[in-house]
Amino acid sequence: MAQAEAFETDFWKDANLRKVWDDIVPGAPRKTIPYTLTREAIALYCKAVGEDHPLYFDEVYARTTPYGGLIAPPSIHILLMFSCTPADDWMRSPGTVNAGQSWSYNIPARPGDLITLSARALDKFIKRERLFVVHDNVFFNQHGEVICSGRGWTIRPQ
Amino acid sequence: MTSRFETLRPGDGIDGPKFAVSRESIRLFCDASLDYNPLHLDDDYMKGDFGKTNFGGIIMHGMNNFGLISRMITDWAYAAGAIHRRLETRWLKPVRPGDTIQPSGIVKSKQVTSKSRWVLIDVLVRNQNDEKVASGEAMVEFPHR
Repeated sequence: MAQAEAFETDFWKDANLRKVWDDIVPGAPRKTIPYTLTREAIALYCKAVGEDHPLYFDEVYARTTPYGGLIAPPSIHILLMFSCTPADDWMRSPGTVNAGQSWSYNIPARPGDLITLSARALDKFIKRERLFVVHDNVFFNQHGEVICSGRGWTIRPQ
Repeated sequence: MTSRFETLRPGDGIDGPKFAVSRESIRLFCDASLDYNPLHLDDDYMKGDFGKTNFGGIIMHGMNNFGLISRMITDWAYAAGAIHRRLETRWLKPVRPGDTIQPSGIVKSKQVTSKSRWVLIDVLVRNQNDEKVASGEAMVEFPHR
């Protein structure tokens, strides 16, 4: 897996560098990194969830559609969340539990897009002794167009 | 496909794909999403408690549910000339290797705005025991063509 080789897959490494719930400041931006989305990364994501629509694979077909070419599935932001954040991002803290997410989709991401992320913690709270952080994210393409925006609720490790 | 929006009714159903969850499928999702949280990889780590919760073993990524629901909605929308615009989900129960899950949707309502037309869909993911493992709501746009 070429993309996995370039990515630190041991989330314990540098875990002590990541912010814990107490350190996270709602409103403060997270560090992000630009990422070029490839056909290979889209294909691997599609394989993992069984996506088989030709819009994601068949360029000749995709050109005949209103999309005018290959696109990524809207839920590609699942990959982009990790590909656009550095190893010390608190989303990688082992034991982070995802409690739910909501996403709005504007235009599709496409293979070759240079994706950037604007992200922050939006809120943090305690509920039933659990430590929650709400994260708030917008992905853009290389033209500055919004691809999608979303919010997630995570339970932080204690 | 104007007629499709016109003929949709609250209560209309959408069937999503069945998905067999295994250690291999979870590992593949790690590689595809770059989410290598030990919740999804490390049996020893998962013997411990998470606050008041003990999962008892590795669990599937919640976002794997999200991806399956999204696949159901987009496949339905593309065929109707519509656009998947929003998905909100909550996870209700952990999903484990050996489970088989399946998303489904039910049209909740339709709305016409000044410039477009929208369908709200209640979505659910159930496991092989008919337990709800995820729920949520999707919004699909049927643009005027």
